[in-house]
Amino acid sequence: MAIHEKSLIEPERLLRHETLVVDGVDVSGHWNTMITPRTITDYDDDFEAVIQRYPGAENVHRCWQCGSCTNSCTMYAQNVQFNPRYWIYAVRTGLKEEIIKDKDIIWQCVSCNKCTSICPKDVRPEGVMKALAHWLEDEGHMPKSPSRVFDEEFTEQIYARGRIEDSLVLLNFFRKTGQPLVPQWLRVFGVRLMQHLPVGLGMRFARNVLIAPRTRSWGRTGEVLRQYVREQKEATHG
Amino acid sequence: MQDTVLIVGAGPAGLSAAAQVASAGYKAVLVEKEDVLGGAPIISGYARLVPSGEWAKDAIGRMVKRVEEDGNVTIHKGTKVTQLNGEAGKFTAKLSNGKSVKAGAVVLATGFTHFDSVNKPEWGFGTFPDVVTTTQVEQMVTAGKIACPSDGRTPERVAILLCVGSRDRQIGREWCSKICCTVSANLAMEIKELSPKTQVFIYYMDIRTFGLYEDRFYWKSQEEFRTKFVKARIAEVTAAPDGRLLLKGEDTLVKRPIVIPFDMVVHAVGMDPNMDNPEISKVFGVGLEQHGFIERGEHYTNTCGTTRPGIYSCGAAYGPETIDDSISQGMAAGARAIADLHGMTRKAS
Repeated sequence: MAIHEKSLIEPERLLRHETLVVDGVDVSGHWNTMITPRTITDYDDDFEAVIQRYPGAENVHRCWQCGSCTNSCTMYAQNVQFNPRYWIYAVRTGLKEEIIKDKDIIWQCVSCNKCTSICPKDVRPEGVMKALAHWLEDEGHMPKSPSRVFDEEFTEQIYARGRIEDSLVLLNFFRKTGQPLVPQWLRVFGVRLMQHLPVGLGMRFARNVLIAPRTRSWGRTGEVLRQYVREQKEATHG
Repeated sequence: MQDTVLIVGAGPAGLSAAAQVASAGYKAVLVEKEDVLGGAPIISGYARLVPSGEWAKDAIGRMVKRVEEDGNVTIHKGTKVTQLNGEAGKFTAKLSNGKSVKAGAVVLATGFTHFDSVNKPEWGFGTFPDVVTTTQVEQMVTAGKIACPSDGRTPERVAILLCVGSRDRQIGREWCSKICCTVSANLAMEIKELSPKTQVFIYYMDIRTFGLYEDRFYWKSQEEFRTKFVKARIAEVTAAPDGRLLLKGEDTLVKRPIVIPFDMVVHAVGMDPNMDNPEISKVFGVGLEQHGFIERGEHYTNTCGTTRPGIYSCGAAYGPETIDDSISQGMAAGARAIADLHGMTRKAS
């Protein structure tokens, strides 16, 4: 039977042996292609509660799957794989694997909050997206974000000394996130600034203050202009 | 002058009609085929009623007491009307207990019959003991304990299937039974109250908790009692190797097949026409509409009318109806019947 919804077949569910012989029949390559089923065989009743412990996701259980969030989503307009409605459903039914599968796009939420404004049940989907990004990080599915590294360094200094040293926070932040103290962009910026410093312009300013030169080939233009303006005034006011 | 109204059926609608007739100073003769008064809420042992939240035996019990204590109401239990002669203003009814009743008007408050789930064998009722109906769960709530009938264990997970015996052309039931969505959302809350650890899932095609039932039942059930609503019409209920039940279907919203284990499956059974309607139609000479319920007369100026002058109807006899609306319609039908008696008097004088 023809497969009408190929979009439902994720690549990882396609099984194919390069060489395979069954009962003496060579079925190598696409002749032995099998698709593993996508049947949901159980719900994880606790996952929703786990996600709800993150700030912003408290209302995820209110969702009734109307799809307003996805329809209004800025990112969905860019990429139809970005589907907040689906992820909220996965949270509610405990389909953890679906969240992990989309870890590389969930964080792309731009927090425009259109979903949160439109949601008829006040689920606050933007908060759910943030919660999911944090959960993925906590579970080690994503590397620690720079902002989290910064927060940890900041907090540790407070714990240790009751205050922070700005320079030390920055220094350690750069070190822990593998960034050079003088990042590449700053170095390029400095070099270009030096290269294009307007030295000549400064010198012209100084010279012109001293000698106040006339515009080239000005000649009697000034006198003519003055006379014209006077005549116009007389013509108008008598 | 004829001062009697014959009321058939002593459920919420009939009890209300009888009280209305009696309170206006006329005589009501109430004929009930069962041996108890109260109709479905009492006979089927409903727990707390929607939307009042009052226990059925208290709320409907008050209605029963009101007519039992009223000198203007004569009650015949365990009795049917076997014959009705005459016309509007001067009917004579023969009862199965041998008595006969002269009445100026008749109110048919004959209600409905619960859908019999064995007519949807793919959903396992009658095959697996842990597949039950909403009526049975109402009885469990009334008894104060939610338990799997097979071994008495408390279910970890309960599925309620909506539209069992409703909205189904395959079994000739093309109507919505109107109140099962709200009743199921309410039952889910009652299950949670009795057994907080039980997870309740409701499998639906649409949720029709109309009017003020939306937030008071649907939203409350989902948001405060954590009922999970899954859009899927279940294909089949089978047994898992460990003795639990397996629900098979397609989760419409994520386009994925589901095969989910449950401890108990509840059919939200719909409202069929009263199974005696063919007989009622013949005895009283009233028409039935296409689904088999009592056919309504022209509604705007012949409210509560049937196809026969002098015979009125109300409540679930007309089609799926809520208890509250059945009670209101019972009063309306009673008022129509009284007006008929009064009209006879006016004509005579």
